[in-house]
Amino acid sequence: MQTGKVVYRHSVVTRLTHWLFFIAFLALVSSGLQIFNAAPYLDASDKTDPARRVLQIYAPADNVGSTVIFGHAFNTTGWLGWTDDGMGGTTGRAFPGWITIPSYQDLADGRTWHLFFAWVMVFCGIAYVIWGISRHDLRELVLRPSDVPKLLPMQLYYLRLRKEPPLHGKYNPLQKLAYTLVLFVFAPLIVLSGLALSPSFDATFPWVTVLFGGRQFARLWHFVLMVALCGFFAMHVILVAMTGLRNHITSMITGRYKLGAHDGVGI
Amino acid sequence: MKRKLFIATSLSAALAGCGAIGTKLAENDRIRSILGAGETLDLALIGTRGLVREYAASDISAQFPINSFDTPVDAVYTHLIRNAFASFRLVVDGMVDRPLSLSLAQLNAMPQTTQITRHDCVEGWSAVAQWSGVALRDIIAAARPRKGAGFVVFHTFDRDANGVPYYESLDFSQALHPQTLLALRQNGAPIAPDRGAPVRLKIPTQLGYKSAKWVRHIAVVPSLAHLFAGKGGYWEDQGYQWFAGI
Repeated sequence: MQTGKVVYRHSVVTRLTHWLFFIAFLALVSSGLQIFNAAPYLDASDKTDPARRVLQIYAPADNVGSTVIFGHAFNTTGWLGWTDDGMGGTTGRAFPGWITIPSYQDLADGRTWHLFFAWVMVFCGIAYVIWGISRHDLRELVLRPSDVPKLLPMQLYYLRLRKEPPLHGKYNPLQKLAYTLVLFVFAPLIVLSGLALSPSFDATFPWVTVLFGGRQFARLWHFVLMVALCGFFAMHVILVAMTGLRNHITSMITGRYKLGAHDGVGI
Repeated sequence: MKRKLFIATSLSAALAGCGAIGTKLAENDRIRSILGAGETLDLALIGTRGLVREYAASDISAQFPINSFDTPVDAVYTHLIRNAFASFRLVVDGMVDRPLSLSLAQLNAMPQTTQITRHDCVEGWSAVAQWSGVALRDIIAAARPRKGAGFVVFHTFDRDANGVPYYESLDFSQALHPQTLLALRQNGAPIAPDRGAPVRLKIPTQLGYKSAKWVRHIAVVPSLAHLFAGKGGYWEDQGYQWFAGI
């Protein structure tokens, strides 16, 4: 085995875009929640339609925060609906000040941040994919039909129901599935659903808004995709922490990675 | 275990710190102007190239929210309401060869166009309504802008609580867009006082704050720099994007 051997794992473009993705992702989520707060409800429709409301976060009374999902109300006082106002007090506000940029209600700045970091994300994504294709790096990352039978054994290994992971290359089949979904499904869809909210973009490419079921529905998709990407982000951080935090972070800064027992199997 | 607790604590502290740093950065004018590059890209790469979708009468929203300042209460506007806008004149001047002063009757006598379009608010909501009136490009054409004119500015009767006037501006590609309308009627009835009577702008390719209510004066100007805070509109002066197409 090659355990302990240090290999050059991440190219400079991968490392640079990784950290830019990270900054842009944090900025986009926190400014996006700021924007959400200006109209804290999501409808599965084109125009605003309370009859087709999927989610609403509001304060039915002072000091009460409520989150309504498909008509079911949950008391979320302190977390959602009635939260910190970002200035030391509390107020009727969907997402709390500690998670929005800026902390207090400011739609204009939220939009400025969101519309800037959206471009950072898009340009990083394009650079990453073009670089990955030209260097054949993406081959190791993209899920292939031959990986599909290995998905279940890999999951069993993660659940400790199986001793050894299935044979795999630089990335295991579940990693490939996650990265492929994020890079080629979730990321393009979150960009498109965001653009579908733009009246000018809608005028030029009306089929995009139609594809998402209308403007308000696109807003709902945009939100759902954000939640999905947050889920990926959380899993990513947890797995990185569990499989050698220091080694992973070092490799994402310097490019050099110390091989573990199961790394590089099948390369 | 201690190490994991330490990592968890530092991660939460880092996240909370991020928020505070983000707020500090958001308040920095230099950062704000750098982040403004997003708008430049939006205008260049998205712009406004097509026509927005037109809806059927059955799509018209039962409720159309009002999201503006209160109906003007100054003497001039109150007087206009009292005489049913008989003394109203829409002034078109600035860098034009033929300045205009149009009465409501004259505006109504011009060729009328009707659109049922979706109004998208910067806050996120949308409502569909029917708007009828004069295509802005017909008025601009009648006034004959001179060479060097860059923007069309809309001055209104509207004022915020501090008395700061509401104004808006479009460049010529936006002003001459076939769906940019000086609306005289909403859902078939004359524009109501709280909806911008007698004349309001309706530009369905951009977010709602562009569609100025209570328009009284259209000025063709070379640049926006000398107007108010210089950003081309009431909300733009407070940090909102001049290009409200996204």
